[in-house]
Amino acid sequence: MNKEETLIKAGKEYFHSGNDEFDKKRYNSAVVLYFKALVSFSDLYVLQKTGNTPSSHNDRFKITKEKFSEIYNLLDKDFPFYQSSYFQIMSKELAEVIKDDAKIMAEKTKTKL
Amino acid sequence: MTQKLWLKKPKLNYSEDVLDIVQFGSSVEEGKTPNDLDIAVIFNKIPLKEQLNQAQEIKKQLEKFVEISIHINSFDLYSLFDSSNFAKENILFFGKSIIHGDDFAKRFGLTPKIQIYYSLKKLKKKDKIGFNYMLNGRGGEYGLLRKHKGGLLNPGLIEINPEFENIFVNSIKEYKIDFKVKKVLLE
Repeated sequence: MNKEETLIKAGKEYFHSGNDEFDKKRYNSAVVLYFKALVSFSDLYVLQKTGNTPSSHNDRFKITKEKFSEIYNLLDKDFPFYQSSYFQIMSKELAEVIKDDAKIMAEKTKTKL
Repeated sequence: MTQKLWLKKPKLNYSEDVLDIVQFGSSVEEGKTPNDLDIAVIFNKIPLKEQLNQAQEIKKQLEKFVEISIHINSFDLYSLFDSSNFAKENILFFGKSIIHGDDFAKRFGLTPKIQIYYSLKKLKKKDKIGFNYMLNGRGGEYGLLRKHKGGLLNPGLIEINPEFENIFVNSIKEYKIDFKVKKVLLE
């Protein structure tokens, strides 16, 4: 399996697992999984555009801030919730917002969910 | 470059949905070196997606004024005071409005103050004098109270602005006396 196939598989798996948790009203888990899906699809986007994938969160933020500001905005906006999901209660509305962002990135990378 | 955006009152573009933009956390406390700058954007009741998008735009504008990273949080009045929001006391008590250049609590008609109760009973006479110099100054030099706009309410009780808590507490600790810190919101 190459990098692109791996990112598509991982992103879809996170997204659908997010849906499972969302349906069970486990919104903290859903937020984490939707954010991970968002990251997988963002990395896929960077791979499709540059031929490379980021090696860390720092690298991901640096590359997207420099080259893909729209993607950077999504990641920068949602990342704090991923970070605080360990100690804060996440709402249904927030999970829906991050789910939408993951969907946006899936569309941008032409990934069928 | 100052980290005290609330004193600078930068000119920002934001919608009518924004009730206030509040700086809080270690960046508003004197005597601390913040790693990042915490900002809370307080909104009217609008959809969360809209709050997050607008907060992101405000963050971009604020980033031009500081060198450290900005950690932005968005709230409406319901989520601000929700029990799951661990930052609410810090925002309400220590928060400084970037829009108004003043305490955020004043938007609710309240003034936050720190009151420090202390006893000098255990101190030797020379240390009591030293403590007094520390608070009130000596030979034309300002003491902590005048320097930081604090006041002596009674013997053994001073009142200061919240952002100076660390400076006073650290100075008082050097005398190894008994003291108690109270946070109060005055009408």
